[in-house]
Amino acid sequence: MVGPAFIMSLFLGIYPVLDTFRISLLQYDLLRVVNEGTPFVGLQNYREAFQNPQFIQALINTIVFTIIAVTVVTSLGLVVSQLLNAEYRGRGVVRMIAMIPWFVPPVVASMIWLWMFQTDRSPINHVLRELNLINTNIKFLTDTRTFAFMSIPMFSVSAVRVWGGLPFVSLFLLAGLQSLPKDIYEAAKIDGAGQLQRFFLITLPLLRPVLSILLVLLTLGGLGHFDINYVMTKGGPQGLTNILSILSYQQAFVFFRFDLASAISTLIIVLTAPLAAYYIVNQVKDQA
Amino acid sequence: MSVRVAQSSSTSFDLVKFLKICGFVLLIIILVVFILLPIYWMIKSSFQTNFEIRANPPIWFPRSFNIQAYRDVSVLLPIWRYMGNSLYVSLATAIIASFVATAAAYVLARFRFPGAIFILSTILFTQLIPPITRVFPIYFLIEDLGLLNTRTGLILAYVGFSIPYAVLLLRGYFKGSIPPAIEEAALIDGCTWFQVFGHVVLPMSLPGIVAVSVFTFLGAWNDFLWASLLVNRGQLKTIQVGLADFTGELGGISHINAFMAACVMAAVPALILFFLIQRWMVDGLSTGAVKS
Repeated sequence: MVGPAFIMSLFLGIYPVLDTFRISLLQYDLLRVVNEGTPFVGLQNYREAFQNPQFIQALINTIVFTIIAVTVVTSLGLVVSQLLNAEYRGRGVVRMIAMIPWFVPPVVASMIWLWMFQTDRSPINHVLRELNLINTNIKFLTDTRTFAFMSIPMFSVSAVRVWGGLPFVSLFLLAGLQSLPKDIYEAAKIDGAGQLQRFFLITLPLLRPVLSILLVLLTLGGLGHFDINYVMTKGGPQGLTNILSILSYQQAFVFFRFDLASAISTLIIVLTAPLAAYYIVNQVKDQA
Repeated sequence: MSVRVAQSSSTSFDLVKFLKICGFVLLIIILVVFILLPIYWMIKSSFQTNFEIRANPPIWFPRSFNIQAYRDVSVLLPIWRYMGNSLYVSLATAIIASFVATAAAYVLARFRFPGAIFILSTILFTQLIPPITRVFPIYFLIEDLGLLNTRTGLILAYVGFSIPYAVLLLRGYFKGSIPPAIEEAALIDGCTWFQVFGHVVLPMSLPGIVAVSVFTFLGAWNDFLWASLLVNRGQLKTIQVGLADFTGELGGISHINAFMAACVMAAVPALILFFLIQRWMVDGLSTGAVKS
C-alpha cells in the first residue's frame, strides 16, 4: 500500500533532482539541440553561470532575501505567538484573523500588494504623508537605489513574503509555546522575573529545538522562493529582486537554455541539501 | 498573561499595568491592521468605479457600492472557465492524493519493515527541496507521457507533490490518535487487515483525512509555478495563471477594479475552506504539528 506513494515520490521527487544535475553537465540549448544534440560538457555551465554578473546578483539577492524574510518573519512570529497565547477576551477572533493570509493564494496576495505598492495611489504612502513622515512618495517597486545589496523593492517583496508566511510561523511557535511546562513560569514569577526576563531567559532557550526546525524550514523555503517575486516584479527593476529560481526559470523557458537553468537549479540543491539533511536526520531520529 | 493579572488584582489605579495593557492592545491593533489592510484594500477596490479607483490620494471608503467590476471581469477574461479548471484539478488532486497518502501513511505508521526509514527519508527529501530544482525533468517527463497541456498531467504532478506532506501528516495522526489496541481487538475478532482498515481505522481518522484533503486542495488551488508550466493553452488555464497573465496583458492599472474583483473570486474558495476548518487548525494542528 505504500507502493504508489513511494513510486510517485521517486518519480516526482528523487529522479528529477538527479536528472537536473545530469542536464547541468550537458549542453542542452533547445535552439541548438536539433543540430548539435546534447553533448557532455562537464562543468562548463557552472563556469558560465559564475562568469555571469546576473547570476552573481541573483545569488546575492537570494541570500539577502532569505535572510531578511526569515529574520523578520521569525521575529514577528515570536511576538504574534505571544499575542495568540496570552489570555484575554476576543483571543479567538484575533487567532482567526492571524491565520487569514495563509489562505490567500500567493498570486492574489502578490496582486493586492502590487496594487497597494503603486507609488501614487498607495494607501501606505498616503498614510505616511498624512502623518508627515515622508515628503515624497516611496517608490516601493521602482526605486533603483541600493545600499549594501539591499533595495526598497527587495524590502517590498520581502514584506509580502512575511505577510503570507506569518500565520504558519505564528502557529508553529504557538504550538511550541503550548508545549512548554507551565510551572517554570510560575517559579520565575515568584522569583521576581519580569516579563522580558521570562521571555529571554526561559521562553527563548526552551523554544530552541522548535526554533531551529522552523528556521530550517523557512530558509529552505526562502532559497527556493519563486512566485511572489515572479508575479510582482519578474526580478526587476534592474534585477534588484531577481533571485536564483527566477533566473533559472527564465533561462529555461525564455532563453531555452535548459543546461544553464539546470546548473542554477543544482546550485539551489547544493544550498538547500545540507539543511534538508539536518531536518531529515532530526525527524527520522524522533520517529524511528 | 499580564492582562489577566491586571484585571484581577488592581483595585487602585496602577499606571504601569495600565501602560502594559495599552501596549498590548496597540500590538494587537497593529497586527490586525497589517493582516487585514490588504484584504480590505482588495475588496474595497473591487467595489469602486473605474474613475474613483484612480483618485489620488486614494479613496479609502467607496462612495457607492458598485458591482460593475464583477460584470467587467467576466468580459475581460474567461474567469468562470479558469475557476472551473482550478476546481476540477484541485478536487481531483485532493481525492486521489488522500487515497494514496492514507494507504501509505497507515503502512508507515503501523508496520516495521526494512527500508521504512529509507522510504520516509525519500519522502521528506522530496518535500523539502525547492520545486524549482525539479522543474525541467518533470516538464520533460510530463511531455514524454503526452500529458503536456492536459488536466491529467497537472493532476498527476500535484498528486505527486502533495503526497509527501500528506503522508507525514497522516502518519503522525495514525500514530498519535488511533491506539493500535483497537485494531488488535478487531483482528482477534477475526477481521482481516483490510477490514480493520476500512471499518475501524478509516472512520476514526476521518478528521485527519479531511484536513489533509483540504490542504491538498489548497496546494493545488494556490499553485502558480506548475500550472504556468504544464498548461499554457488558454482553455485549460487555472485561475492563478489566468490572473497572472491578466496583469501582463493589461498592464498598469487601467482595469484595476475588475482585476481586484478577479482576485476576490480567486481567493473566495480558499477562504471558505479556511472558515470551515479554522477552529480545527488552531486547536488541533497546533497541538499535533510540533509533536510529530
